[in-house]
Amino acid sequence: NLAAAGPEKFTLEYIQKQVEEYEIGKRHLANMMGEDSENFTQEDIDLFDFIYLFFLLKQICFYFQHPDEIFPKQRAVQWGADGRPFHFLFYTGKQSYYSLMHDLYGKILKIEKHQDRLRAKGLFSQDAQLISLGPSRWLTKEELELLLVETISTHDYDRFIKLMERMLAMPYSSTEEEFVQRYRRQLEAQSMKQMMPPLEKDENGVAFSTAEGRRKTSDSSVILRDCGSGHITINGQDYLQYFPVLQDREQLMFPLQFMGVLGRFNLECTVSGGGRSSQAGALRLAISRALLSFLSEGDGEAMRQAGLLTPDPRVRERKKPGQEGARRKFTWKKR
Amino acid sequence: MCDKSAATVVFLVRWSRYNPYYLEPEVSKEAYSRPETELSAEEKEQRELKALRPIKAATSGVTSSVFDDPVISKFINMMMEHGNKVLAREIMTQTLENIKKKQVEKYHKASEGEREVIECNPYTIFHQALENCKPVVGLASIQKGGKYYQVPIPLTDNRRRFLAMKWMITECQDNKHRRTHMYEKLSQELLAAFGKEGNVIKKKYELHKMAEANRAYAHYRWW
Repeated sequence: NLAAAGPEKFTLEYIQKQVEEYEIGKRHLANMMGEDSENFTQEDIDLFDFIYLFFLLKQICFYFQHPDEIFPKQRAVQWGADGRPFHFLFYTGKQSYYSLMHDLYGKILKIEKHQDRLRAKGLFSQDAQLISLGPSRWLTKEELELLLVETISTHDYDRFIKLMERMLAMPYSSTEEEFVQRYRRQLEAQSMKQMMPPLEKDENGVAFSTAEGRRKTSDSSVILRDCGSGHITINGQDYLQYFPVLQDREQLMFPLQFMGVLGRFNLECTVSGGGRSSQAGALRLAISRALLSFLSEGDGEAMRQAGLLTPDPRVRERKKPGQEGARRKFTWKKR
Repeated sequence: MCDKSAATVVFLVRWSRYNPYYLEPEVSKEAYSRPETELSAEEKEQRELKALRPIKAATSGVTSSVFDDPVISKFINMMMEHGNKVLAREIMTQTLENIKKKQVEKYHKASEGEREVIECNPYTIFHQALENCKPVVGLASIQKGGKYYQVPIPLTDNRRRFLAMKWMITECQDNKHRRTHMYEKLSQELLAAFGKEGNVIKKKYELHKMAEANRAYAHYRWW
């Protein structure tokens, strides 16, 4: 029996050779394309079509990405010629993680010492100088693993986060802000990165916008006209005829009622596929999107927080073999 | 503001199509019209959090209209069978109409002094009846020393509401004359519960008595 070798290990020389070849290939490509070979960046390479270039470069084996991104990051050899490891925590097995925790605890002790010195001088105040981090989140477990180049368990990750939180809660922790920021990622300022449909004007000078929406297997498209009459047409029929059920009509009106613009717009909708409820949901999404172009930023944000602008990801779950339905199992028989 | 993300990952058997990062939507209009000054610190934090995180889509049963009631929607969903929401909603509207009719009849027949006491709004009657049916403590089956004991435990709000609704529906389905319509049975039972009579209230009191009887085992609960 052969023991599993684990993930393939590449030697440092091999990777360095790949990097040199990559650089040479990049220069060749730049020369062939007539671009500037000095300032030829990764983005320019990405623009080229792979198949076209394969025939040109078939002599050179060229990776279209920097080798660092293809080969996973690996540890250099951790011990010297005499067999003694470099790091003092090598024999713990997770040296980077434990050294990180060790450093973190050292910082906590330093802050406490600072607090004691201030107390001795009588300058200590409880609510001074907590770190202000801005909208950001902690590194996820995967990102931390990448940073440390070693695997850690969920338990280890939890302990790390708890210790960080403990340090943040201490007064006078702002001295270690730079250290903490290394382990935080900035959150996007707003989740309101919506595609707003453009506001157009037709021949009569009436402003209108078009938007599409989807739900389960229904597709819908809505033209919202700023006429002032409040008529709604779906697939050529009146909405009262098309949706005899009250719940569906409520869903159509939901975005308009939420914004308080019930009588202002004319809707011309087309919808296909799916059932009664999913068609109503698709129309609701399309109406909310079309409405965005007539409203201000704050209103758009309110609509997003009301759940009107998120496409509903729930679809029918497939039936699995060995079961009667998606979740229902066959009747269990003891024998 | 620190974003306290969930550090532990729990593997649940039931999963949702949404990333756990998504937050629940807030549908009522009033929540968005309150100015900054009125909010407390936690509400300000909530608002900031909502601005950064993605939000789930609103379900097809909720709207921002004044006629939309979450309790009534929950009751309709619980009454629904085989996905027939149209029928369940029809029954609900007929029940409320029936309650209103009975109360208005009673109102017109009553003398001047009694008229103020009679409640005609079917929604208040529904809510009050449900409140009267909610049990305060529940029983849990806990195994200790080879035997199973019925131990009194505190119930969460959701659980209490669920039990009240469930008892109401099962009672109307099982214990009434088979020729009456469901809306008729429901309206009778709701009016009885509003007046603190009826089988559902009796069931609640029986549960309370059992819990009181098993008070000695209350220390078996460890949570």
